[in-house]
Amino acid sequence: MNPVLVLGGGPAGLSAAAELASLGAPVLLVEKEEYWGGNPRRWHYSLLAPDLLPAEEVLNPLVSRVEGAPLIERHLRTTVSRVEPLSSGFRVELKGPETSGWREVSSVVLATGFDHFDSRRKYEYGYGRYPDVIDFKEFEGMIHDDRLTRPSDGALPKRIAWLLCVGSRDVQVGNPWCCRMGCAVSIKQAVEVRQKHPEIDTYVYYMDIRTYGLWEDLYWKSMNEYGVKFIRGRIGQITQAEGGKRLLATGEDTILSRPTEVPFDMIVLASGMEPGTGTKEAAQLFGLPVGPEGFLTPKLSDLNPVESGHPGIFLAGAATGPKAIPDAVTEGMGAALRAYKHARG
Amino acid sequence: MPIVEKSLVEGLERSESLQVEGIDVSGDWNTFIASRVHTDLDLSIVDWVRGQPQGATIDRCWQCGTCTAGCCMHTDYGLEEFNPRYFIYLAQLGYDKELARYAQTVWRCVSCNKCVERCPKGVKVEEVVHSIGTYLELTGTAPKSPADRFDEAYTRNLLARGILDEAGLFQTFEAGEGRTLPTGEKLRMGLRLLLTGRLHTGPLAKRTRGWGRLRPVLERMLSEDLARRRQDLPARLPPKGGP
Ligand SMILES: Cc1cc2nc3c(=O)[nH]c(=O)nc-3n(C[C@H](O)[C@H](O)[C@H](O)COP(=O)(O)OP(=O)(O)OC[C@H]3O[C@@H](n4cnc5c(N)ncnc54)[C@H](O)[C@@H]3O)c2cc1C
Ligand code: SF4
Ligand code: SF4
Ligand code: SF4
Repeated sequence: MNPVLVLGGGPAGLSAAAELASLGAPVLLVEKEEYWGGNPRRWHYSLLAPDLLPAEEVLNPLVSRVEGAPLIERHLRTTVSRVEPLSSGFRVELKGPETSGWREVSSVVLATGFDHFDSRRKYEYGYGRYPDVIDFKEFEGMIHDDRLTRPSDGALPKRIAWLLCVGSRDVQVGNPWCCRMGCAVSIKQAVEVRQKHPEIDTYVYYMDIRTYGLWEDLYWKSMNEYGVKFIRGRIGQITQAEGGKRLLATGEDTILSRPTEVPFDMIVLASGMEPGTGTKEAAQLFGLPVGPEGFLTPKLSDLNPVESGHPGIFLAGAATGPKAIPDAVTEGMGAALRAYKHARG
Repeated sequence: MPIVEKSLVEGLERSESLQVEGIDVSGDWNTFIASRVHTDLDLSIVDWVRGQPQGATIDRCWQCGTCTAGCCMHTDYGLEEFNPRYFIYLAQLGYDKELARYAQTVWRCVSCNKCVERCPKGVKVEEVVHSIGTYLELTGTAPKSPADRFDEAYTRNLLARGILDEAGLFQTFEAGEGRTLPTGEKLRMGLRLLLTGRLHTGPLAKRTRGWGRLRPVLERMLSEDLARRRQDLPARLPPKGGP
């Protein structure tokens, strides 16, 4: 049997590869970066929502299962540059430091994931200009390494705000969809801050809180046990105050029906999830359609969310839309099963 | 927009003599409306309320409005200003000035406890609202109402002689409010009350026996009680003067 190509070594791709190997199928696992684990590894996620498990406890087993499987041929820093269809399967050209050239594969799992919205595009929030306006993907790493101090002056902040839906649910930047993770992850970050530093006051500016399903527990806990405060309304702009020492969040408290201008020591932006550049490239390479949002679209998202509609090409994880790690891992398993069936003919 | 009826405008500020950069802008030239922009968040109110046995569940509220929707006072009695959900929000985020406007209204709760039965987040709404009321009372962030002033006049009157002097109370309270009735009217009313047995004591009533010794004890108890209740109030707000 020709190997199954798994493109992308994030949670979805790692899960698909391990599942295929467990079924006895050879796998060619290709990742363009120099590490396994996708976005969670790239940004050094701290604890994971919703169960507050350290990210390593989820990522390490995913990676070690793949590294321990002899059936999986792994390539970091490698991409697919060209694709040609065969009567059954594909010919793909790999480009990487260890391996280059054409390989035949029986089927393909695309697990190419997402990219973060670039918060600089919401210029009114000052990200990139004011050092204490921080993107929450960077804040993950700051919590992880216990570096909660302000980039501007190294002081411990007394008051932090999170702003939800940055680059999501916003036609101005062309992203009308919901990022699904921003609420839970921001709330989780506030809880982590309160666990480590109960003296820091934490506020979340929201339009809606979307901690769907069983994740609601995290939201309740944050209020009931950690005293995280929620202010309804979206910050309209962030400026500097007190000679650059603090940030001023201008917004409307829509419950109070009043304008507010509140000073903070640090403001964290919950930037949305966009289709990854790798996902867009893969769509072109394999000639697959993308939806209006730019994510890959399953042919029948209800009935078979892992099938692209193109024979032999399967989809998993955040390549088809914002989603959480457990969903990405589950889809990796589903795609693996379908790809295996296709490869067996 | 011209200000038509100034008494209707909230936050109007005007000073009788003011010079700005050498220019006289006294009187109507410097009538301003205070900014409605809220500029800070202060958690000392919610911290205090949470620390009270009654207020412990305040953090849970997520502003769904279930309590207000079923509240006897708000919905059935139609007292729109009495909005338990809103009081909680203001206390949670420390919007003290806005909260102070409701210092009187907040006590209108009739403790039917419908809100507590219905709140999806398990907030003991009735207790929390009372706790917010206590906070407002103790910190005196709100201007005193006629009811507050009556309470104070009543306590002073009672403490003076150990027995209530109703006519005297009426007299001092009325005078304090600047609402004196014509003397003829007062006499007529006093007489009618006396004749129908509803004016129990007058200036001639006997002082309570042993009051000279009892009074300082009571006074001390009252002031100690007040001091105890204020003990852990946030230092930010000046406590209100006692009766
Ligand atoms: C700040 C933040 C915090 C989060 N926290 C949580 C959390 O606490 N709990 C939770 O469940 N979820 C969390 N998530 C969601 C989680 O990140 C995603 O569910 C998960 O990363 C999706 O995995 P994936 O494998 O589909 O995609 P990705 O993680 O994006 O991985 C895709 C991989 O594919 C590679 N790739 C892309 N294109 C190519 C190509 N053409 N060739 C080769 N390789 C390619 C990429 O380099 C990347 O390594 C969070 C998300 C954000 C934004
Ligand atoms: S998950 Fe929350 S932060 Fe993200 S877009 Fe949806 S509502 Fe906004
Ligand atoms: S019902 Fe409970 S959660 Fe809802 S607004 Fe009232 S107190 Fe808050
Ligand atoms: S207990 Fe008070 S606040 Fe609650 S419903 Fe009854 S009147 Fe309203």
